[in-house]
Amino acid sequence: MNPRVVGANLFVKLLGVYREKTTMFFTLAFPIILILVFGTIFMSQDNAGFHLCVQDLDQTKSSIDSVKELEVNGKFKITRVDPAVSAIQYIKVNKVNLVLVIPKGFEKSLLRRKFFSDYKSSVTITYVYDPSSSSVPTKMEILNGVLAGINQEMTSIPPFLKSAATSILTRKYRFIEYFIPGIIAMSVMTLSLFGTVNLNTELRQKGIIRKLCTTPITHTDWILSDILYQSTIAVVSTITMLLVSYAVYDVKLHLDAWLLAFILLEVFAFVGIGMILTRFVKEAQSAAAAANAISFPMMFLSGSFFPIELMPEFLQKFAKTLPLYYVNEGLRAAMIFEDNQAALHDAAIIGVFAAVVFILGVIATRWEEGQ
Amino acid sequence: MTEKTGYTIEVENLTKRYGDLVAVDDISFTVSTGEVFALLGPNGAGKTTTVEIINTIRTPTSGTVTLLGMDVTKKKLDIVRRIGVLPQGFNSFDRITVRETLQYYSRLFSCRNTDIAGLIELVNLEDKANEQYKNLSGGLRQRLGIAIALVNDPEVVFLDEPTTGLDPRARREVWEVLQGLKQKGKTVFLTTHYMEEAELLADTVAIISKGKIIAMDSPAKLIENTTNYLVLTLLSADDNVIEIIRTMGFEPVLDNDKDIKTRVEHIDDVQKILSALKEAGAFYLGLDVRKPNLEEVFLKLTGAAFHNGHVVEREAV
Repeated sequence: MNPRVVGANLFVKLLGVYREKTTMFFTLAFPIILILVFGTIFMSQDNAGFHLCVQDLDQTKSSIDSVKELEVNGKFKITRVDPAVSAIQYIKVNKVNLVLVIPKGFEKSLLRRKFFSDYKSSVTITYVYDPSSSSVPTKMEILNGVLAGINQEMTSIPPFLKSAATSILTRKYRFIEYFIPGIIAMSVMTLSLFGTVNLNTELRQKGIIRKLCTTPITHTDWILSDILYQSTIAVVSTITMLLVSYAVYDVKLHLDAWLLAFILLEVFAFVGIGMILTRFVKEAQSAAAAANAISFPMMFLSGSFFPIELMPEFLQKFAKTLPLYYVNEGLRAAMIFEDNQAALHDAAIIGVFAAVVFILGVIATRWEEGQ
Repeated sequence: MTEKTGYTIEVENLTKRYGDLVAVDDISFTVSTGEVFALLGPNGAGKTTTVEIINTIRTPTSGTVTLLGMDVTKKKLDIVRRIGVLPQGFNSFDRITVRETLQYYSRLFSCRNTDIAGLIELVNLEDKANEQYKNLSGGLRQRLGIAIALVNDPEVVFLDEPTTGLDPRARREVWEVLQGLKQKGKTVFLTTHYMEEAELLADTVAIISKGKIIAMDSPAKLIENTTNYLVLTLLSADDNVIEIIRTMGFEPVLDNDKDIKTRVEHIDDVQKILSALKEAGAFYLGLDVRKPNLEEVFLKLTGAAFHNGHVVEREAV
C-alpha cells in the first residue's frame, strides 16, 4: 500500500465530486429533501387530529354539547353538516369519507335514561362512510372509544380494568427521531452502492481503468482510496442530515462512536456489493439497474421508512436477512435507546457481512482484460 | 535494454486467442533502443492486442515478450514504472484540469520531481493548463495523454493509435509532439492505421494483417523492396481518360472521385500516356509522377482498399 497513491486517488475523486454540481446535489440534498418531506408529514400527524363531519338531526342542547365534547376530547376538527341534506349525498359531493349522524330524539332518549332510569332507552349513532378510504377504520376506532367512554360515564360504575402506559425510554420520542437513523442508513447504502458501481463502470467504459493498468497503482491502493472516498462522502452526508434535523425539527438523538462505526461498516458492506456488481455488469446503465434492483427492496423492506412489524410475517423474516435491517436496528439502538448491547449485536452481524462481501468484492475486482 | 541482445522489446512467437478467434498469430519482432517503431495495420488486424500484451495490460496465450530485459508476464510492476502508455481511446477525469491530471499521474508513479510545466510546454498546452479535461478538444486530449505517458520519464513510450478520430490539423499537431519525442531519443512504439503517420514518424514499420506480420523494415526499404514502378496521377481528369489509359494496357483507378491513378514501369510510359490523351483531346487539370509511398506498399501486400487516408482490409489479391 502506497499512501501517496491512495491520497492522490482520494483527492482526484473528491475534487471531481466537488466540481460536479449534480452529484453534489444528489449526495447532499436528496436525503435532506427526504427528511424535510417525511418530517413534515409525520410532524403534522403528531400534532393534528382527524377531520370529522357531523350531522345533528336532533338540534337540541344535549346533541350540540355532545358534538362539542367530540371536538374537545376526541381531538376532531368538526364540520357541521346541514340536517336538511342527505349524508350519503354530502359525502359524494364534498369528497369526505365519513359523516357521523346524531339521530332525531337524541335528547329525549338521554333524558329518559338519566331522570327516569329507563335502561331500555338508547340511541343509535350512525357512521355513513366511504369504504374506499383508508383512514375510515381509524376514525371509527377512535369514535368507538369516545362512545364507550360516554357509555361508561353514564352507567356511573367505575371500570374494573384500567390501563397505564410506561415507556421504556426516559423521555418521549417523536416519529421523526425514529425516522432519522433509517434515512441515514438508507442514504449511506445508496451513496456507497451507486457511488462504487457508477464510478467504476464509468471509468472502465471511458478507458481510464485501462490507463491505470499501465501505472504502478495496485488494487489495494485503488480499493482503499475508494473506501476512504465513500466513507468521506457518507460522513459528510450524515453530518448534513443531522444538522438539518437538529435545525428544523430540534431532534434529540444520542450521538457517539456507534454512529461512525455503523456508517463505516455499512460503507464496507455496500462498496463490497458494488465491486461485485461492477465485475459482472459491464455497462453503466445495466450496472445502475442492478444497483437499483438491490437497493430498492432493501430500502422499503428493512425498516428504513416504517417498522417492519407492519409487514406480513414472511416479509418480516425476509427483512431480517437484509444487511440494511441490521444497520437500521443498530443505529436506532445506539441513537435512540442508547442500548450498547443491542448495538454491538447488530454491529457484529453487519461487520461479518461487510467482511465477507468486501473480500469477495476485492477478489471480483479485475483490471487486466483477456486473462 | 537487454544487455545480451541490444533490443528494448523482443517478441517471440506471440499468439493471443479469444476462443476460436486468433487475434495475434505467432508473431516475432524486435525493437531497438531509441527507434520509433510503428505497427501498421487496418482495424482488427491485432495491433492493439499486441501492444497491450507488450505493455502488460493483457497476457499472451503463448510466446514470450521481453521488455527492457524483463518478462512482461512476470515483472508487471517493475515494467510499468519504466514505460509510458497512451492507450487507445484515451480518456481522463472530466472535472480535473490539465495540470492537476499530470500531478495526479505523477503521484501514481511516486515521482517527486516531475517537471509538470515542462511537460505542458512539450505538448503545447500552456494556455490550457488550468482547463478541465471535459472542455478539451480531441486533439488537446491526445496531447495531454502523451504528456501523461511521459510523467515518469519513461524509457519506452507506447502510443496506441494516437491520432485516430482527429481532424487533419489536430493530427499534425500531435505529430509535431511525437517528432519532439523522437528528438529526445525515446524508444517509441506506435500503432496506427494511417500510412502517412507511419511513413513520417517511424524508423521501422511492421505491417500486420489478420494477426500476422507480413513485412517489416524502414519505410524507404519497404517501398524500395516491394515496388518497382512509378505512380502517375492525373488531377481532375475527364471521364474518358480511364478508358484511354486502359486501352493502352495499364490499370487506372479513380481516386477521390476525380483524380486518376495508374502504375507505370518507366518514365517513357508517362510520355506515351500523355501523347495519347493529347491526341484524343482529353482534359486534365494537372499531373503528378512519383515513387510509390507506404500506401501502395500496404495495398500491394495486403490487398486492402484505401479510404480517406487509412485502410480498410479486404480479401487479399
